[in-house]
Amino acid sequence: MSGNAAIVGGGLTEWGEREATWKDLAQEAGKATFDDVDGIDRSDVEGLFVGAVQPERFAFQSHVAPLVAELLGIDAEMISRTELACASGQAALRYAWLAIAAGQIDVALVIGVEKMNLGKEYMPEMQSTMTNVLDREFDGVNGLNGPSHFAQFAQRHMHEHGTTREQLAMVSAKNKTHAAATDFAQYRDAVDVDDVLESYPIAPPLNLLDCSGITDGAAGVLLVSEEKAREVTDTPAYITGSGQSCLSSNSINNLPSMTTWPQAREASEKAYDQAGIEDPLAEIDVAEVHDCFSISEVIEYEQLGFAAEGEGGAFIEEGRSELDGDVAVNPRGGLLGCGHPLGATGVCQALEIHRQFTGDVPAERAVAGDPETGLIHNLSGSGSVHSVMTLGRDPQ
Amino acid sequence: MTRDDRSNDGSSNDGSSSDDPPRETVSIPNEVELPRLLDFYDLQDAEHTGIHEFYGNLRDGELTTTRCDDCGAVHFPPRIVCPECLSDDLSYTSLPHEGTLHSFTEVRGTAAIGMTDDTPFVAGVVDLGDVRLSARIDDASYEDLEIGDPVRLKIVDIDGPTDQDRVFYRFVPV
Repeated sequence: MSGNAAIVGGGLTEWGEREATWKDLAQEAGKATFDDVDGIDRSDVEGLFVGAVQPERFAFQSHVAPLVAELLGIDAEMISRTELACASGQAALRYAWLAIAAGQIDVALVIGVEKMNLGKEYMPEMQSTMTNVLDREFDGVNGLNGPSHFAQFAQRHMHEHGTTREQLAMVSAKNKTHAAATDFAQYRDAVDVDDVLESYPIAPPLNLLDCSGITDGAAGVLLVSEEKAREVTDTPAYITGSGQSCLSSNSINNLPSMTTWPQAREASEKAYDQAGIEDPLAEIDVAEVHDCFSISEVIEYEQLGFAAEGEGGAFIEEGRSELDGDVAVNPRGGLLGCGHPLGATGVCQALEIHRQFTGDVPAERAVAGDPETGLIHNLSGSGSVHSVMTLGRDPQ
Repeated sequence: MTRDDRSNDGSSNDGSSSDDPPRETVSIPNEVELPRLLDFYDLQDAEHTGIHEFYGNLRDGELTTTRCDDCGAVHFPPRIVCPECLSDDLSYTSLPHEGTLHSFTEVRGTAAIGMTDDTPFVAGVVDLGDVRLSARIDDASYEDLEIGDPVRLKIVDIDGPTDQDRVFYRFVPV
């Protein structure tokens, strides 16, 4: 890679069931992003990358990147939307990083937007939209969607490794408690393990509080070249590594396993190698991982190199992923607490790492010490693709 | 005064009603007819899919999938091109009609369009040896099942919005 790129700031909408359109959300996040960064104007933006999963279905709108350009008054010379299901936001950030690293542009706006809530009476439509993220013809058709797909990872992980129902609940309780101190989060009520265990078993063994939300929201960051970053801030968050893996898999038959995600291991090892990280547990201070369901975070501890395979349940139980633990996992509250506006999630995770670096977070959820190394992780669809990015205070 | 007030009562608008824009009601259809797409099952004949033989075999009572005549790879879902060697010389091969339950859950409150009347229902992953596929498990509830339970094929005829005789596979406990 020839050039470094850094996040120098960003902004968000409030997340939740919003009385707002897709276009409203994009404008709110865009304004918040530029309001946050002194020294970069819209006229400086050369690249616009928009993460959005299903605006065609949720908002009956495609070709959304130029829509964002128009709404925010941006004359981009490189412009595109990225769609990689739940990792669309990180994919947008990755392509912006590659464009800067290749020396094609110096300033990129990365925006993730999703409008998901159509009204409770249209829940089956919402679920259909999530179902066709899977292979609709052979998996979606069988009733698989988010909860019923990931429940089967949980069922199998409990069977093979003895992971307990209580350990899954501990993940939700930790993240939702963090979200109580996050001002944009969809769910701001702290919950305990019993609350999770007593919630409705929506797709057993997963309960309602093991699941992330159906969320309207948007997030933006400005990603710039090292030279530009030095002009505008003393606290950039440099992208130090970025890896992805898909292993030619999408449908159930072609997933390598129902208990492990070797794609996450491969993606993280690529990122660690680029970043010079040899011992991720010792070197990563803060990790924003894709807790679309409680079981996801347990498997991710194992695949990202924080815990041995099968020991993700013990990792949460021993408190090693708490704010003052070996690695602070999901300090903003994760997807379980903040909700999951699909295209916006990865962008928001990266912004959270930047904010943890600058200290722009409430004391209740600030990562202990001065975090210097961060990670974001997203999975997509059936868990077929995993994307991992590392961030640091210094350029690579 | 709101815009609605003004438009409903132009006379109160201080004599400026001659400046009000013309107004009429236009209608859109109460129901919009869309192409058949959203029932999750593909059109299964040779006019619509390259894997019609898979569906034809299933209609005849046999679960099959494609095997590559060049490299021997067995695929699922069935294909028209081998993902291992890109050969398009594929044949249909039989899959066992009995397997074991690899994992399972019960769909309760989060079903897609066309499935809400079926809830609760069991969704599982069935291990057939060469392939592992997702399937609905009929005649069982979550509490009845354990990983490793034997299950066998069941074929369902799809009664839906097309004239085609469509079919799909499910499994039931042995």
